[in-house]
Amino acid sequence: MEQLIQELKEHLIEELNLEEITPEDIDAEAPLFGDGLGLDSIDALEIILILEKYYGVKLANSAEAKPVFYSVKTLAEYVMQNRK
Amino acid sequence: MRCYIERVCRQSDVISDVKQLIPDAGLRRRMSRVVKSAVATGVECVGGVERIEALDAIVTATGWGCLADSERFLRNVIVDKEQLLNPTPFIQSTFNTVGGQIALLKHNHCYNVTYVNRSHSFEDALLDVLLRIADAQSENVLLGAFDEQTPSQQRIMERMGLFRRCQCGEGAVFALVTAKPTERSVAQVSGIEFLAESISKEQVAKRYGVTAEEELMYNRYAEYGLYPTASAQVFAEAVERIQQGVERVVVYNEYLGDSPTIIELKCIG
Repeated sequence: MEQLIQELKEHLIEELNLEEITPEDIDAEAPLFGDGLGLDSIDALEIILILEKYYGVKLANSAEAKPVFYSVKTLAEYVMQNRK
Repeated sequence: MRCYIERVCRQSDVISDVKQLIPDAGLRRRMSRVVKSAVATGVECVGGVERIEALDAIVTATGWGCLADSERFLRNVIVDKEQLLNPTPFIQSTFNTVGGQIALLKHNHCYNVTYVNRSHSFEDALLDVLLRIADAQSENVLLGAFDEQTPSQQRIMERMGLFRRCQCGEGAVFALVTAKPTERSVAQVSGIEFLAESISKEQVAKRYGVTAEEELMYNRYAEYGLYPTASAQVFAEAVERIQQGVERVVVYNEYLGDSPTIIELKCIG
């Protein structure tokens, strides 16, 4: 799980081009949108692509997006449960 | 038709202040190299992001557009087999990204147009500004031009033998243009001409009656590199020469066989 969290942080930094942010700066339990990393709706699209591209995980329905996209930890848990 | 230049900024003037000029990290992280430097140059030209200028038009020009993002998007289309396409390079690769981002940063909702007409892009943008001013539709305009080179584009152009005489170039230039002279005006644009055929340096000098005290800048691609809006760099140099005391500068540009253009600049008064 720890390794997956680290990997997800690296993908987020790389794909979202998060300037001057290292994986250590990202709190795995902090919110990704709004207060935490301050991501927005375009980033949400990019995260969907990260999950599909690197882990083959597709979001089954949009209703589950909010809790899944809450933090890096919730993303990692979703990947663990659904990865192929 | 004429207009007055208050200020000219080049990419090289702002390269170290990009974070200050584009303080929103969220906005900045999505910008490619050319968008970042061109937006910073434009914002610096209107006095930084905090200053409110009564801008009533933003007119930009580019020959190649945002090449790096276009290449990134097309590469993703091929590599990912038209699936899972990242939206950011597509959004950012459009030609009007720079004009749009400046308007977003300045909270400006005025006339905002980008000219993409090969090597005439900057001259067409300038002509638009002159026409708007002549028609009393604009008083204060931000005029700019930008282009970027990428390794793949450079390779292709090299293979076509285009860099035998001069190297590929890139850059961003912005000018703050007004309809009337102000105490901050440094030069005036007194004429623009689009020619059907190329003419020699001597013919340009004769056509415009350029005297020994005046200056003629004829195809300066060796100085600024070969790219479609390099003429904006020469335009900036002409403004600088007028600030240094030259009374009139005539700028002639002819890029890779495109029909030539001439811009005439004079001192104020």
